[in-house]
Amino acid sequence: MSDEYNQQNTPLEAQSSETMSGSSGTPSKDIDYVRPAEIPEQDLYHGHSFITKWVFCQDAKIIGVQYFLTAVFTGVVGLILSWLMRLQLGYPELVPFITAEHYYQFVTMHGMIMVVYFLTALFLGGFGNYLIPLMVGARDMVFPYVNMISFWMFFIAVCVLMASFFVPGGPTGAGWTLYPPQAILPGTPGANMGIILMLISLSLFVIGFTMGGLNYIITILQARTRGMTLMRMPLTIWGIFTATALAMLAFPALLVSCIMMTLDKLLETSFFMPSILQAGEVLSYEGGSPVLFQHLFWFFGHPEVYIVALPAFGIVSDLISVHARKNIFGYRMMVWAIVGIGGLSFFVWAHHMYVSGMNPWFGFFFATTTLIIAVPTALKVYNWIITLFKANIRMNTVMLFCLGFIVTFVNGGITGIFLGNVAVDIPLSDTYFVIAHFHMVMGIAPLMVIMGAVYHWFPLVTGRMLSEKLGKWHFWFTFLGAYSIYFPMHYLGFIGVPRRYFEMYDSPYVTSAVGMNEFITLAALIVGFSQLIFIYNIVTSLKIGKPAGKNPWKANSLEWLTPDVPPTHGNWGEKLPVIYRWPYDFNVPGAKEDYITQTTPPSEVINAEVEKT
Amino acid sequence: MSDVKIEGFELKPGFKGMAEDTGSDQTMFKGVQWGKVMMWIFLLSDTFVFSCFLISYMKGRASTVVDWPNTSEVFSLHVGSVPVPLLLIAIMTFVLITSSGTMALAVKYGYEKNRKMCGWLILATAIGGLTFVGMQVFEWSKLIHEGVRPWENPFGAKQFGSYFFMITGFHGFHVSIGVIFLFIYAYKTFAGHFDKEKRGWFTTMKGGYVEIEILGLYWHFVDLVWVFIFAFFYLW
Amino acid sequence: MDDTINLTFWIGGGVFILVCLFMVYCILKFSYKEGRKVEYKPEDHKLEKILTIATTVGVIALLAPGLIVYNNYINTPKNALQVEVNAWQWGWQYRLPGEDGILGTAQVAKITDDNPFGMNLDDPNGKDDILIQDDVLHLKTDRPVKILLRSLDVLHNYYVPQFRAKMDAIPGIISYYWFEPNKIGEYEVLCAEYCGVGHYAMRAKVIVENEDNYENWIKEQETFSDLIAKQENNKLKTTLVAQNND
Ligand code: HEM
Ligand SMILES: [Cu+2]
Ligand SMILES: [Cu+2]
Repeated sequence: MSDEYNQQNTPLEAQSSETMSGSSGTPSKDIDYVRPAEIPEQDLYHGHSFITKWVFCQDAKIIGVQYFLTAVFTGVVGLILSWLMRLQLGYPELVPFITAEHYYQFVTMHGMIMVVYFLTALFLGGFGNYLIPLMVGARDMVFPYVNMISFWMFFIAVCVLMASFFVPGGPTGAGWTLYPPQAILPGTPGANMGIILMLISLSLFVIGFTMGGLNYIITILQARTRGMTLMRMPLTIWGIFTATALAMLAFPALLVSCIMMTLDKLLETSFFMPSILQAGEVLSYEGGSPVLFQHLFWFFGHPEVYIVALPAFGIVSDLISVHARKNIFGYRMMVWAIVGIGGLSFFVWAHHMYVSGMNPWFGFFFATTTLIIAVPTALKVYNWIITLFKANIRMNTVMLFCLGFIVTFVNGGITGIFLGNVAVDIPLSDTYFVIAHFHMVMGIAPLMVIMGAVYHWFPLVTGRMLSEKLGKWHFWFTFLGAYSIYFPMHYLGFIGVPRRYFEMYDSPYVTSAVGMNEFITLAALIVGFSQLIFIYNIVTSLKIGKPAGKNPWKANSLEWLTPDVPPTHGNWGEKLPVIYRWPYDFNVPGAKEDYITQTTPPSEVINAEVEKT
Repeated sequence: MSDVKIEGFELKPGFKGMAEDTGSDQTMFKGVQWGKVMMWIFLLSDTFVFSCFLISYMKGRASTVVDWPNTSEVFSLHVGSVPVPLLLIAIMTFVLITSSGTMALAVKYGYEKNRKMCGWLILATAIGGLTFVGMQVFEWSKLIHEGVRPWENPFGAKQFGSYFFMITGFHGFHVSIGVIFLFIYAYKTFAGHFDKEKRGWFTTMKGGYVEIEILGLYWHFVDLVWVFIFAFFYLW
Repeated sequence: MDDTINLTFWIGGGVFILVCLFMVYCILKFSYKEGRKVEYKPEDHKLEKILTIATTVGVIALLAPGLIVYNNYINTPKNALQVEVNAWQWGWQYRLPGEDGILGTAQVAKITDDNPFGMNLDDPNGKDDILIQDDVLHLKTDRPVKILLRSLDVLHNYYVPQFRAKMDAIPGIISYYWFEPNKIGEYEVLCAEYCGVGHYAMRAKVIVENEDNYENWIKEQETFSDLIAKQENNKLKTTLVAQNND
């Protein structure tokens, strides 16, 4: 990297005490006072060649798009794997090349890809990178170089993961939970190269993510613009921030369990491996504890669920508020709920282990903490729907996806109460009820938010609108289709069909499950193909979409208020913006317009009866 | 670094001051450089890594089927023909803690802009760290010589070897990284990069002696982790 | 247990429907109209407090019965019959305590062809243990059963959907659960913890029958001493045959 660093020649004085840009009326110094800048200007690196501008790029926005595209690529792989599984389940004889080995490899790779490489990377790496600097009013992430490395680490992790499809023995088929001893024994497909590559890939992911996560946290804590207090940040930022904090504390457990399992596999240590009899022979392992792995895994795994869910909560709050033209109800409570859920999520992990053979007395504790989390979660739902009450709702694609999210999430949340309550969980755990539950709550619900968010922010990123008509088709196919997939699965779970079953044979359950399985498979195929509408919409809109102009949704938050649309490197041109209010001043009584942007100084809206800061 | 001056903002002491900082705009930790916050948060994350290792170790040790070896015998060193328990480890710990001291002094001289003193002290710290790693290599080879392996252990439970090599190895890796950076920073100090406020490689901000303090944080952390490893492996 | 499921089902379902109806109402009533008057009320502490308390009460109402049921689930009744289930890739076998009512100790490392359960030969409690090297288990009605789970290799889970109960079998640990069968019939056992490629095929059968049939079945089964005796016999025979051939 030989390019020199451009000296930024914005003089520092340009943004100290005399504030108000273009103040028209009689600016009263007092009400518009904002403290002068504390932090010196960032001295950004500007790429010159194609490689430094687009490939090894240090602009968080581009890194965000890179993350987004890579994550979507893995997501498509995960989707195709889910089709193959569904084909096997719905029409067992139809695709002869799917053997039990393959099925379990597909299940594993599908689960791991969707949770870690798709959703986590998409929300934090994708949306986080793009939106954090814009929404808090920074020029870029605080350590752009580290941020760039973070993406490339992730990229390598994805490559290693994909490579495992092509090694002898194929990818691991241990289930996404990778429980030992089974994960590294020959009875499981891909127990040699497959599992090793998976563990290496996860470790790389954790390292890469740590680099990115440090950036997100510090940008939010230490690089906000003038006037941007924590309680004036959009909820999107709160969601991403809390999720990143969770990730920084939860991923260590994953890293440690990966290291220990790799050693168990390669050096035959016995961390997780007790004495084992295989094919008539006692293996060299002795005295390890398989349950220890489960504790480590779920200490990561449960917060991981919220790492996916919290950014979705945050983003959907912002989308609802903008498109319902009303302030989000109970902002402060929303913030505390996000932080509270995040904190509590470290104390509930063993609800995944009610039937794992751990000391049964833990059940009482973990059932209680789990149901305590239900309270802040329910409050968030109330606040979303109260926001809709007496609002002015634009029924566009974005709003549809938000409503779809609420319905799906409430459904998944309620089934969560079943599974958290230990006595109810015992018959239901490891059945299709669990599959239905987590797909609703952390599969479909966040996906709805992602799609809504793409429709919402596409104009910002590309400068063009997506087609509304195609968008609505896309929504209805996805929403109804997803419900057709997962709603019947609750029933399958109630009658006791276990998960991770390659086929049911002539079990007495099949009679009522066969038809249902065929139906689910058809729905899954339709949902998958309907995503082509989405892709078509994106590709064509890039060329022929309606030009968006500035702030097409009339939103208040900072990302829409950049001097250039789409925002350029450095985001804010000459001068950093100054913030006077929270981002939810919609339909304030007395104001001329139905929105007041965050950069509007109080002196310009003297008559508006603003309640919140 | 004491009294930071921030225009238009008064830093107040105690809990109230903290709440006020949190509620203010721009930064949460007033006057603290980005790099320093980053190091703190990274260390918090790393604390979780080491906690996971040590908790697993406790669980593993508590539930082995074979007895845990007698640590004061396994780790003893023969002086002449008398076995002295914990001799080597005491020296190692002493060296590492001393290097923490020299690091703290380096930070102090750095802020006093005493380039020479600062540089020499960083170098001393680096050499302390190197000595520590060297002694660790010695201890590993001694144990390996006696037949302890990650997958087997002639003195008792297998897990002893596994956890010992894994955790001290992971810690030794941290120390080694630290030593590398200490050497780089010693060079940077002598070359006057911090006096010239030369911009660091990873950042978009001007450099300064605060970078030495950041490295110092890491070094003290590694040292602190060692104290825990020492207590859990050698004294338990 | 079913009662708690039903309770959760109806309360949860009710909440779900309420939320959906409220949303539909909002959408119909407040869809976009230029210049519509919109409420501006960032916070409403009273409403927030009411909702918090109501939710908390609801959650407690669901949790409390759940915990009581769970307490019953983990405390086995005194008169429960013990059955040890051995799981391996991919099949099941059982061990019953025999006349003394105590299972002898056993270890994975001791398993050989002659000693398929890895029984500890020095343990007198093990001599009368009934060994069933077959995946069909018989139980009597209206008598609680305590299932003790052992695994010889990886995680498994002994699950009969109709009994509602399940628990993982973990190598190196003995886990347990109990239930009381009260309907005569044949039930299918499914493995409910992923254990490798054969997981889906790892089925077995439980036959719940009345006291008499059960006793008859028990009588036909072999104890550990029988097994040893038979093996001694076989050995003797083979040596005899060998001698004769000389
Ligand atoms: C249309 C989309 C999807 C379909 C049709 C689908 C279908 C499936 C199927 C059939 C299984 C295996 C069930 C079994 O045999 O046990 C499964 C497992 C799973 N899916 Fe999905 N899925 C979809 C999207 C997602 C998404 C978005 C996520 C992200 C959270 C996800 C996460 C998982 C996980 C974690 C598992 C468990 C893997 C395991 O058991 O190890 N899926 N899915
Ligand atoms: Cu969980
Ligand atoms: Cu199984």
